[in-house]
Amino acid sequence: MSELTHLDAKGQAHMVDVSAKSVTARTASASASITMQAATLKMIVEGRHAKGDVLATARIAGIQAAKRTPDLIPLCHPLMLSKVSVEFEPDTALPGIRVLVTCKLAGQTGVEMEALTGASVAALTLYDMCKAVDKTMLIGDIRVLTKQGGKSGDWVFDAAEAVSAQVVVESSVDQISTRPHERLQVRFFAELREQLKQDELAVDPAELKAAGFTVTVGGLSDWLRQAQPELDAVLDRAGLMVAVNHKMADNQVPVKAGDEVAFFPPVTGG
Amino acid sequence: MFKIQVCAERFDTGKELDALSQQRTDIGALASFVGYVRDFNERPDVTALTLEHYPGMTEQQLQAITETAAERWPLLGGTIIHRIGRMEPGDPIVLVAVASAHRQAAFDACNFIMDYLKTRAPFWKKEHTLSGDYWVSSRPSDSQAAQRWDNNND
Repeated sequence: MSELTHLDAKGQAHMVDVSAKSVTARTASASASITMQAATLKMIVEGRHAKGDVLATARIAGIQAAKRTPDLIPLCHPLMLSKVSVEFEPDTALPGIRVLVTCKLAGQTGVEMEALTGASVAALTLYDMCKAVDKTMLIGDIRVLTKQGGKSGDWVFDAAEAVSAQVVVESSVDQISTRPHERLQVRFFAELREQLKQDELAVDPAELKAAGFTVTVGGLSDWLRQAQPELDAVLDRAGLMVAVNHKMADNQVPVKAGDEVAFFPPVTGG
Repeated sequence: MFKIQVCAERFDTGKELDALSQQRTDIGALASFVGYVRDFNERPDVTALTLEHYPGMTEQQLQAITETAAERWPLLGGTIIHRIGRMEPGDPIVLVAVASAHRQAAFDACNFIMDYLKTRAPFWKKEHTLSGDYWVSSRPSDSQAAQRWDNNND
């Protein structure tokens, strides 16, 4: 792991001197999500909230927050941001809203802290705007998605890598159990989800292996079909599509703990 | 180079096209396609449709499609906006716009992106009609349209 740049040789906090670093175009994007009751989401999307336009308010809050990041994070450099964009994606599957913040500048330090701060405060503002009607809202998924420019080069969030890193951290803290991470997540979409009346289930790949199935998309599908009769009929359909970690996959693709395997009918967008 | 957006809000086609060509003098051609909700499909009297997607994967697939298009044609920019949620007949669903120096690349890339979007991007339509709701079936003609581009190894 690279060393922590905000600590000096004595382990004391200091602000890194970036004057010798070259000026490059920097972009970073970060996400957050807020999960809420379906009725709250509907109210926001339809613009029926008594407090006014929830998304417009949260968008401005996100932009303002990104600009104020150095006031909040002690060792963060003040930056002349050239662009801050805050996007909201209502997601009925959560149900809730996904926040995506992108910050840009030409400068000597990265802008991921600005993007993270913008995403966090946009989510907090969504909470503030809607707390009168829904106090159970949950904020999460605050993370850097992409980072471009600078010495360390381009970086993109990889769900699989993050999950394995999480396992290492948690097992060093607590040796008792990492069971949730020993599983892979199976998701169903559209007509499949409606027929099954469920959108996901967790599967332990070790169980597949123990039952004599290959630990692949095909093996997983066969195992699911023999383990659950209701899945047999639903997964046996012409043109069924499968994705592993957001990439289209066929039966030969291997699967492992931490993967997200999605089954869905042929796509019909456009 | 491509703007990719999956959202519930309605888009303004004129604004999106202007944004692509504004302050550019290298763009000689801008081709676009807008898909709308029809009031008839597998059944007559469609009153509304609901579009579902796979958050994360949908955006990633659209991004991959635009990257493939940019490898095949000399593109100077582009936009894909696809709406999700509930829409009514006459509402725009999708916008694909492609900018290039010359028209042939813009037309072809726009056509290619739509063909690939319809067969590879995880979106699903559920139609609401006077005689009930149903999930729209995929069409063999869409798969054939997408396959045209695979055969043509240029």
